[in-house]
Amino acid sequence: MLLSELSPGQRFLLFLGRNWVIFFLCFLCVLFSFTGAGFLSPKTLNNILITSSPALLLAAGETFVIIAGGIDLSVGFVRGLISVISAIIIRDLYAAGYSPYIAIFWGIVVGIGVGLLPGLVNGILVAKFRVPPFIATLGIYGVANGVALRLSQGFPITFLPPEVGEIGNGFVAYFLPGKGYSFFRRPAEILPEDMRNLIGIAPFAFLIALLFILIFAFILSRTVFGQHTYAVGGNIDAARRAGIPVDRHLIKVYTISSFFASLSGVLATLVFSIGAPTQFSSSLELFAVAAVVIGGASLMGGKGSMLGTFLGVLVLSVLEIGFLMSGILPFYRYVAVGVTLIAAVLIDQSFPELVYD
Amino acid sequence: MMSTSLSTRENKKWLYILGKNWTILFLLGEAIVFSWMGTGFFSIKNFQNILVASTTILLLAAGETFVIITGGIDLSVGFVMGLCCVISAKIMVTLQALGLSPVICIALGAGGTLLLGLLPGLVNGILVAKFRVPPFIATFGMYGIAYGVSEILCNSVPIAGLPALAGFIGNGYLLYYLPGRGFTWFSPPQGIARAEIRNLIPLFPNVFMLSLLAILIFAFILSRTVFGQHTYAVGGNIDAARRAGIPVDRHLIKVYMIASFFAAMGGVMYTLRFVTGRADAGAARMLDSIAAVVIGGASLYGGTGNIIGSLIGTLIIGVLETGMVNLGLPTHNKYVYVGVILILAVLIDQFFPEFVEKGGT
Repeated sequence: MLLSELSPGQRFLLFLGRNWVIFFLCFLCVLFSFTGAGFLSPKTLNNILITSSPALLLAAGETFVIIAGGIDLSVGFVRGLISVISAIIIRDLYAAGYSPYIAIFWGIVVGIGVGLLPGLVNGILVAKFRVPPFIATLGIYGVANGVALRLSQGFPITFLPPEVGEIGNGFVAYFLPGKGYSFFRRPAEILPEDMRNLIGIAPFAFLIALLFILIFAFILSRTVFGQHTYAVGGNIDAARRAGIPVDRHLIKVYTISSFFASLSGVLATLVFSIGAPTQFSSSLELFAVAAVVIGGASLMGGKGSMLGTFLGVLVLSVLEIGFLMSGILPFYRYVAVGVTLIAAVLIDQSFPELVYD
Repeated sequence: MMSTSLSTRENKKWLYILGKNWTILFLLGEAIVFSWMGTGFFSIKNFQNILVASTTILLLAAGETFVIITGGIDLSVGFVMGLCCVISAKIMVTLQALGLSPVICIALGAGGTLLLGLLPGLVNGILVAKFRVPPFIATFGMYGIAYGVSEILCNSVPIAGLPALAGFIGNGYLLYYLPGRGFTWFSPPQGIARAEIRNLIPLFPNVFMLSLLAILIFAFILSRTVFGQHTYAVGGNIDAARRAGIPVDRHLIKVYMIASFFAAMGGVMYTLRFVTGRADAGAARMLDSIAAVVIGGASLYGGTGNIIGSLIGTLIIGVLETGMVNLGLPTHNKYVYVGVILILAVLIDQFFPEFVEKGGT
């Protein structure tokens, strides 16, 4: 059906259906500003951005996989594994007498390097051996979790240099109302009573996440690689006949997902100053998949966008912080996410015209 | 042409037998390795430990077997088990506070939970059958919902203060044998001397026997009834099943309810064994149960698999777990092995389809 054939009323419904995420997000912000005191403040905004960074990264990788018609259930545990590995490297190098910055550098580099492996294996299993994606990645979910628990003996890796937390929890700029601002470090001669008023602007962890997400958003929407991703997910046989190296492409897509998971693991180590294996009940993979689906991607493949995923993650983060600030148990979020995931698939199936082509 | 294919068959016969029975051989291999590496593997006590430790996986895997045979998957079983663990503990604690006798508290708690536990499966089934939601998504949504609801119900704190009888049932045995003094049922002999306790041999753990009863009933249903035949038919070729007049939608709903029922039973057994209601009781068991079914020879494409296979798959994981604990090895490695075995089993299924038993035979 062409857009011009629709009556104004139908066109409005279509507009509403296509942009429901934005309206829903605005609705949540208004709702929580009434129920939670101080919801609309720079501090809360920063909190939302910081809490959303890990989910944002996992969801960004998941976007590629879901557009390609697959699913990656291993992201949560790959994140935990890489968090543990990078923390162990930082701790041991620091203990061996290296400068904390060198230790952190190698922790990040080796962590992300190792983090490409699970994705490579997932991709090979899915592309070359035709293992259904949710089973291949469920297997790697077990393997990654087992290795993470083995390396950490089930306890978080601690005794990291204090610089780790300074980087992970730092802001690009600090602003003290009425007294000026400073860059990268807190103002040196700050009084204890001023600490509460200090506003950090643009958290590092979020900026790093945002940088990579922008790069990959560009790759997805503006390059041949991105076009091929949509083509593979839309119709894999047509893509193959069109000469797209489908197998190699799928392997790359799963490696991207794993890359984002390990980036998220490294950032987790920096932000929390510990390397912790992922808890079974944290359901990070559920939130990643849900964010992508809320953002308008179809689990049948071929549809989705990075901007949509970004909005999806914001919805989930606003829900989490909003529930917390309103004094509601944050576990309602799990229920909300589960319901939203199923509802999004139902909408996708029943009203396919609502999803962007 | 005929003769070549026959002779190739002859040559491959040993491979064929090996492929068909690799799970049993693998299980024997595990038993040999663990008895060689540690002491006391071949003892009644150790075998019973393995059975009790495997009960949760066994229950979840039995339900998952039905779902996987229909060509679906249920990712929610682990958290539905946690939800039912919390619900049963909550019912027992609430009724106890009302002053009811422990037996009634436990009976109502267990019975009520098994009934309520059918709900998640009903929703899963309706979503899959009526709304054509892919099974792994419908049950993935339920995975989040079940976990959220269970944490809300218990206010994120494990439920304690259950009747002591729960632990007595959950950790008790059907039969106690004291050499020289004979058998007693359900509890150790009265007036037993301290020195004699070490000689006491408990037999048939309650939790395992109760689970086994349910599993045998459903194994019979799967292999010997029309319901079982329809399950294979739906998984083998859903269109053909529909054309043959099988009420496919209703059948699928029932199958997801069976999976949910077994998850609920797993939750009740957990409550009885550990005398607590935890939301994350079964969180780590979802992967184990799917792996057990797939190791047991079920194809994720549907149409094949059976409960005996899933039982052997469960024992492979249970023996591995218990053996590693007995040897003092870190059990964390188990997750790695289970993940690898799961992928290997799918690969074997994919590349040597003739190894996989067809139908309910």
